Amino acid sequence: MSGNSSAGRKKGGGFLARQAQKKKSITEEELLNKDIIRPEDVTRLGKMTENYLCKPSANVFGIEFTRFKIRDMESGDVIFEIAKPDNAEEIPQETNNDDDDDPRRGRYVRYQFSPKFLDLKSVGATVEFVVGDKAINSFRMIECHYFREKLLKSFDFDFGFCIPNSKNTCEHIYEYPELNPDLKEEMINSPFETRSDSFYFVDNKLVMHNKADYCYNAEM
Amino acid sequence: MYFNPRGLDNAGKTTILKRLNGEDVNTISPTLGFNIKTLEHRSFKLNIWDIGGQKSIRSYWRNYFESTDGLVWVVDSADVRRLEDCKAELHALLGEERLAGATLLVFANKQDLAGALSSNEIRKALELDTIHSHHWSIQWCSAVTGEKLLDGVDWLIDDIASRIFTMD
Repeated sequence: MSGNSSAGRKKGGGFLARQAQKKKSITEEELLNKDIIRPEDVTRLGKMTENYLCKPSANVFGIEFTRFKIRDMESGDVIFEIAKPDNAEEIPQETNNDDDDDPRRGRYVRYQFSPKFLDLKSVGATVEFVVGDKAINSFRMIECHYFREKLLKSFDFDFGFCIPNSKNTCEHIYEYPELNPDLKEEMINSPFETRSDSFYFVDNKLVMHNKADYCYNAEM
Repeated sequence: MYFNPRGLDNAGKTTILKRLNGEDVNTISPTLGFNIKTLEHRSFKLNIWDIGGQKSIRSYWRNYFESTDGLVWVVDSADVRRLEDCKAELHALLGEERLAGATLLVFANKQDLAGALSSNEIRKALELDTIHSHHWSIQWCSAVTGEKLLDGVDWLIDDIASRIFTMD
């Protein structure tokens, strides 16, 4: 088991390092043509995806996210929480809800925060999920947050083993990355241009791909 | 640094974890899986795995032994009837090869309840003094009031840190 998170990759290195970096990067189109997508593939993307890199049917383990929650670690206040099915608010879908083919169905969350969210120092982000009747030996999440092309934060976390028919929670408590005032202003003025890709792997194969977008101009 | 709270069901593992994190402890149901927390404390990156303690789940504990630096064993000090069971599970766990290097912290929890045994009584009942394979300590606490939780965790982190840095 291992976990780590980093506030983005350091820029630079010499010419050779940059070339090596170049060689290593991979496009979304290349990944869409692969049968099996591995963790090391998505870490080479370097930007937000346009599509979903797997079908909902790839999730043969019955993994289902049942709660997302964000709290301010300093005040203890819950800032955002959606759950299903016993909670009033459904996981939001945008439009054309009747269309079963909507690739976003159940895979997309929209977060609306007030500008104050960007001033938080320490937040706890919780996901709750259930798994089906098969044991999962290795469950890993890679999540990347971008504002436009800029990587704000990435997580790479190995949940390890999941018990059959279990309900599990995972909370990452982290310091919010220090953003300069200009960038903050831009993020507030550009709703839903802050986005994230969440990739989930079972035994190092991509089985789920979720997305979220964020705005910071909502009123509390 | 990884540590894993273990103990029988209803010992108070999840309550301890939530209390340490400043969360509501009034609405906790039995854990039928894991609760993970990752956080930074005193510049260490901590990954805490709280695994359910129901009998049907205990057979899966072995899947979580890899890379464990610290083990937190949580005891319901008022559940005198199951102390024998508790002792057997703890000693079985300590026999696990993959936990060989782990530091053990025993929380004598639920000291807020009338009829709770003292940490000294728990120490005797669990025969902690026979443990020579692991660094260990026992700390009384109440997850409900939050008393002494941090003392226990700080001891655990200090012990793990001293082992890790000595190895380097």
